[in-house]
Amino acid sequence: MGGLEQRFPVPLKNFSVEIKGNNTDLVICRYDDHFLVMATQIGTMGTILHARKEEGVTVEPTFNVSVILGKRDEPMLLAITRQLIENISSSGSSMPLVLSLGLKDHSTETLKGIVSAVVENRLW
Amino acid sequence: MSSTSGIASDFVAASKSAVVSAGGVQVTTFTELVDEVTLHFQIIRLAKQIYVWIGSDSAKLGNLYAAAPTRPNNTVSATSILGGTSDNTGSGIARRLVLNTGLNIIVACNIPKNNPMLEANAEKKLIEKLITMGYSRPKSRFPGPELPSA
Repeated sequence: MGGLEQRFPVPLKNFSVEIKGNNTDLVICRYDDHFLVMATQIGTMGTILHARKEEGVTVEPTFNVSVILGKRDEPMLLAITRQLIENISSSGSSMPLVLSLGLKDHSTETLKGIVSAVVENRLW
Repeated sequence: MSSTSGIASDFVAASKSAVVSAGGVQVTTFTELVDEVTLHFQIIRLAKQIYVWIGSDSAKLGNLYAAAPTRPNNTVSATSILGGTSDNTGSGIARRLVLNTGLNIIVACNIPKNNPMLEANAEKKLIEKLITMGYSRPKSRFPGPELPSA
């Protein structure tokens, strides 16, 4: 079993920002086949969403965004997910995204705060 | 950090554990040799929930499971939330982590299928690590120490 001086194989960033007065903890991880992003203001992962790119041969890519656990009636969560998967795609990666959002409010300001904090610290 | 193999000197490097904290989130990562397979563990600890990733030779995300204690009898509910349709490697780990710790858990499991010994030993390593991080087995009639009231 050689080659043991290896870094942990999953790059990860862990940081906090304040968004609209709420302390928000963010974690961004890059696995071999997914990005994982967690944004929480409530101490749990909250709602978990999944987004992937579907690429046609000759057409623009489309994106499939869905809730896999949690609130299914909050469109702002889907909007954040969609903005992030589009950002991933335009940065050149086709990997899907698992996003967890545990937020205290679902306002536009929070949406913009989360998206910009993640994009500034992206691993793609 | 101890390793499971007899060749101690080679495996000190592989068993390094790292902890990174920011805000209310603590990330612990470590690598262990379990049954001759190198397993990577990632524990992301939030105030009221824990996310765990177990990877083996690749750093793929694997199957995602959610599990939590369920009232009234502190039974455990577990469900697959991504992947896991044709194999349920890791669902037992999620379920038993909740049984042993009383925590609300999300598990991402990417270990080889059809190897129940490996699954059981990976789970043991995880529980050992959670105990060193301060989580303890809940008493039989009471919810675990980290269980939120909701």
